[in-house]
Parts: sequence; structure tokens; C-alpha cells
Amino acid sequence: MNKRQARLFAIASTGLATVAFLGLTLHSHTKFDELTNAQNNTPQVQSGRDVWHKYNCVNCHTLFGEGAYYAPDLTKITQLRGEQYLKAYMRDPSAFYDEQRHRRLMPKQNLSEREITDLIAFLDWVSKVDNQGWPPRPILVTGASIPGTDFGPAQGTSSGTASTLPPGARPVTGTENPIALGAAAFRSVAPACNACHSTAPGVNMAGPSLAGVAARAEELIGSPEYKGQAKDVKSYLIESIRTPSAYVVPGTMYSADGTSFMPNTYEHDLSAEQIDQLAEYLSTLK
Amino acid sequence: MRYRSQAVAYWYFAVAMVLFGLQLVFGLLSAAKYLGPDPLLNILPFDVTKVIHTNLLIVWVLTGFMGATYWMVPDESRTELYSTKLAYIQLGLWVVMGVTAVIGYLFRYGTGNKLLEQPLPHKIVIVIVMLMFLYNVIMTIRRSGRFTTTEGVLLLGVAGAAVLYLPALLHYENYTVSIIYRWWTIHLWVEGVWEMIQGGFLAYLLIRLSGADREVLEKWLYVIVGLVFIAGILGTAHHYYWVGVPQYWLPIGGFFSALEPVALVGMAMYAYSAIRRSGLAHPNTLALHWTIGSALFTLFGAGLLGLAHTWPSVNKWTHGTLVTAMHGHAAFYGAYAMIVLAMITFALPSMTHDRREQGSAVGYWSFWLQLAGMFGMTLSFATAGIGQVYLERILGLGYLDTQLKIQVHFLMLIATATLFSIGVGLFIWDFFRTRPRFEIVAEGAPPAAPARVAVT
Repeated sequence: MNKRQARLFAIASTGLATVAFLGLTLHSHTKFDELTNAQNNTPQVQSGRDVWHKYNCVNCHTLFGEGAYYAPDLTKITQLRGEQYLKAYMRDPSAFYDEQRHRRLMPKQNLSEREITDLIAFLDWVSKVDNQGWPPRPILVTGASIPGTDFGPAQGTSSGTASTLPPGARPVTGTENPIALGAAAFRSVAPACNACHSTAPGVNMAGPSLAGVAARAEELIGSPEYKGQAKDVKSYLIESIRTPSAYVVPGTMYSADGTSFMPNTYEHDLSAEQIDQLAEYLSTLK
Repeated sequence: MRYRSQAVAYWYFAVAMVLFGLQLVFGLLSAAKYLGPDPLLNILPFDVTKVIHTNLLIVWVLTGFMGATYWMVPDESRTELYSTKLAYIQLGLWVVMGVTAVIGYLFRYGTGNKLLEQPLPHKIVIVIVMLMFLYNVIMTIRRSGRFTTTEGVLLLGVAGAAVLYLPALLHYENYTVSIIYRWWTIHLWVEGVWEMIQGGFLAYLLIRLSGADREVLEKWLYVIVGLVFIAGILGTAHHYYWVGVPQYWLPIGGFFSALEPVALVGMAMYAYSAIRRSGLAHPNTLALHWTIGSALFTLFGAGLLGLAHTWPSVNKWTHGTLVTAMHGHAAFYGAYAMIVLAMITFALPSMTHDRREQGSAVGYWSFWLQLAGMFGMTLSFATAGIGQVYLERILGLGYLDTQLKIQVHFLMLIATATLFSIGVGLFIWDFFRTRPRFEIVAEGAPPAAPARVAVT
């Protein structure tokens, strides 16, 4: 090969690759509307996107796995956490996470209520983009898909007490937002809820996954299968904690002869307030 | 220095050195925040230090590219620069842009779009500066009438970089589409036209250092450019996988980005065989270390570590973890930081007083400390990233719980980053240690290099 042929090779290969790339890009443009549900890319979503940019979120978090690696990925966050939780969180992140314990914390951003709502709309739009099913498994902020993986040594040896939290759980003083208190109770009551229940979708262990429990409860209450007393999601959740057998989730691994395998001790062991906080937290699992 | 106007390069290099040092300050701050807790949480949070860290990198490397080009083009075209005044105005504008951008970031004045955080007025200044630069270089070459292939490749790389910045100026309604075009700038810079710039400098340095035949080296430079673009252009798709694009981008991205290392293997072989075949014809062995080092570290950081997580079925698990930071640090350092440091090391003895051509002991310490430090940093990110992938992505442990379990790797990161920073500190000190001198020395008879044998 001489120099002229080498130059020809460089030009031709660059040219071919460019033509192929531009052609595929043009073709992709005919698909973007469908893949990204462009009809739902409303002015509110756009303004949420502007909030995302304005507060420089991408330089700590990732979205579609893109951004910085200092804070959790938020691609599917609205499918894991309900709007009420996200609103409460963005008003004051320190109510949910503790810097001493996690060694990092999101600084309070002072978002307006409007900005918070728009941002959630944007994140919800993102979560519905058809992105080849990524992430392949849910990326949780804290806790564990497989119950118990996040336990500390103290919890492994005893049935656990209210004061022993997993290393990644925020210690609470009792004055926090009820959702945050419920999230802590979920991991610290005895026996801990997360010993059997995962909050990751599809992870059914000794108990069924609680991801989306609020949406399922709402559907269930209206259906003829349901024979309990509850009239709304929160009262359903309270009922399930107090009297687990009031409604049993179908499946031989969860119950026998109409009696749930879930301990029925919570009614005595927990205060009404604690049960209320747990229900507050669980009803944010959309 | 053979041409008076090459003095311009010194000031570009000086600015690049200062910004490089500043980049490390913000890098170390960011690393410390990974360890936490962060006393500066409400004054200087992570997002700010990280933006400044990456933006300073882009600005100092581009400053280095421009300085090195102003050094190289008079040598290649055997003429003075078209306008030194324009070059200084350009530098001034560039510095004002860079400094105000960084100050703005401290107050969160930016677009919040990863790596393209520059506010619109700054983006416009960047385009103006690039046009001034291109104009100056093109006029220099036109006036001389001597246009080498090495220059041509370099110039096309620089022009390509300017053109590919344009999509960054536009606004997109759809977030997915905006990501696609963001990569036109970022990916096609670092895995496309910037590799042309690196290839151009590499060819120049090899021709100068080894005295290898220009015709042969320039022929292979074309082959490398061809290989870069065959793989690099369609390889853009490895950034598209999970952002909401049609499925066909996955196999295309996988296949072509797996080919990307071929050009880098070519580049490393090219550098090695040039020296092997023609021997060393220039006393500046320190510059040779940086030149060969750049080619090899690029192969390691960009080639091998890129290949490690580019295949879609692997990337599905590693995407958005510290594995990406591992690849990013090693690739950028090897390909772009090291080639700029090579050009500086090559040019420095003829633009400062009291300096041996062979390079100083401090210079060698700097080289090996930087290399060891960056290698250690890469391993720290790799071990942290692999741990993160298994715990968080495969086992399903929460993000925050996982980060607590990989703290030890952040300690290792800070230790090795300190080593690296000492190396860079020595380089900067070595650069400013002696006064600049801007006198013309005839080729073949530099006073500090009696061993010189090459005649070009």
C-alpha cells in the first residue's frame, strides 16, 4: 500500500461510516416519538426538564444511567416511589437520609412546589421511555431487593429491636416526616418487615414484594374477592398489618387454610402511631 | 525554537499548566466527598466540584492542543505564524471565557447538561475562539505554501472539533434526542476528531524524535485515521443503548465499538516500530517517554478498558457505575493529557533557560509518579465499580448501602490520586522553574544538545 492508497482508505472508510451513521440517525428520528411517548412530553414535562438542568441534578445523579456516579440512578424512580414520597423528599432530603450514616447527603435544593411537581412529571415521563428494558433489575436507593442483604451483624443474631437499624438506614428521632418514620420502622420493627418483604418489583420471598402495593390495594378494595373492612388504601394497609389474614395474597407459599403466614404480633407489639407510619410509607409504594 | 512566533505556544502551555493544577484540586475535593461526610455540603457540593473538574479538563487540554499546534505548524510549514497578535487575542478571550465559566459554576450558573455545562454566551465565545484559531493556522499554511500530511490530519481534527461543537448550541424538545446529539459532540470529539489531533501530534513527535521516514509515517497515519473513523463514528451507538433508541443500535454499537481498539493497537505499534526501526535521533528522551507512554496508555485506558464494558450485554450491568469512571480517567489521561504533556516536554528545552534536552530528574519523577498514580486511580475505580456492579446491580442492594461497602476503594482512590497529584505538581514546577527564552536557534545546533544528530 502506498501513501495515496492509504489516503483513499482513510477518506473512503470515513465517508462510508458517516453515510451509514447519518442514515440510521434519520431513521431513528422516525421512531423517537413512539419510543419516548412524545405525545406525553407536555409543557409541564419540558419545564420539569428545565428544573433538572437548572439544579444541575445530572452532576450527581444519573438518568438513563448517564450523569455522575455520586448519587442513585433516577430513571425508574417514579415507579419505585410515589409522588407523595418524592415531594416530601425534595422538600427536605435530610428527613430521609442521614449524612453521618450514609457519608453523603443531597443538599436541600429549595425547590418551589411548582418546580417539584414539574420535576416529578419529567421523571415520570423518563421512566416510561422504551429504553430496551434498562435497568435489567431495579436499582434501589437503600435497602435490598433480597430481604436481609442489608442487615448489620446485630440484626443477624437476634430478632432485632426497634433500635437496631441496618447500616444504611437513617436513624430517626421521632419528629421526622411520617413517611420517613414509616420507612425506618419497615426495617427496624421486630420482626423487621424487610426480613420477608422486598420493595423491589418482582422479588417475592417469604412474603410478596411490596413494590406497587398501593396501586394493587386500590384495585383490590373495589373487587369482589376482597372481604375485609378497609375502604381506602391506608386503612387496607393498617388492616393487613394488624390482622394479616383479613385478606390473604393468593399463593400456597403465603398462607394455608385462609391463615396468612405473616406474624400476627404487630397489633400488640407496635403502637398505633407506628402502624400508622408504616401505612403512610407503604402507601407511597405506587 | 526555529521561528520567533513559536513563542506564542509558551503562553498557551503556561495557561494549560495552571488549569491542569486547578483541575486536580477539584478532582481531589470530589474524591474526598466520596468518602464523606462533607463539611462543604452547603457551600461547595459535589455537583459543583465535579462540573469544574471536568470542564477544566476540557479547557486545559484544548489550550494545550492550541499551543502545541502553534508550536508545530511553523515547524512543519517552515514559516512564522500568520499573526501572533491574533493568537494572543485568542488566548486572552479563551482565558476570560474559562475563568468566568468556572466562577459561574460556583454559583450554579450553567446549563446542567453533562460536559456541555457552558452557558450560551460562553459557548459562542468558544466557537469564535476556534474560528480565530483555524483562520490563523490556515493562513499560516497558505502563506508558506508547504502543507504536510501531519498538519492536514491535525487541522482536520481541529476543524472537526469546531464543527461537532455546533449541535451543542441547539435546543431539543425531547430529552432523549438531546442526549443523542450531546454525544455527537462528546463522543465524536474524544473517539473521533480528537484522535486525529492526537495522531497528528504523535506523527510530528515520532518524525522529530526518531528521524523515521516521513513518507512511511504519514502513510500509516492515514491508515490509523481510517481505522479510527470506521469504528469511532458508528461506535457512538455505545452511548445510545439505554436512552430510548431503536433496538438496532445495540448490535451496531457493540460491533463497532469492539473495533475501536484496533486503531489504538495500530497507534501503539506505530509508535513502537518507528523508534525500533529508526532508532533515536533526538536527545530529548523524556519527550520520548511521554510520546510512547501516550500511545501505550491510550491502548490500555481507551482500548482495553473501553472494550471491557462496551458490549451491550455487559454494559447493561455496568452502565452508570464507577466502571465508567475507571475507563474515563485512564482513557482521557492516556490519549489527551499525555500527548499534550509530550508536546510540552518536547518544546520546553528550546523555550526556557538552563534546561537540558534530555529532560531533568524532576521530569522523570513526574512521569513515573503520574503514571503510577493514574494506574492506581484506575484500579481503585475498577475495584469500586466491579464491587458496585455485583452488589447494587446484580444482588440488588440499595445504592447507598453499596456505596458504604466500597468505602475502602475510595481510600485507595485518594491515596493514588495524591501520588498522581504530586507527579503533576512536579511537572508544573519543572515547567515554571526557569525563565522563558524566546531566541531563535538554528536547527541542528541547539546549545544544550551537543549529541544532536538529526537533520530534517
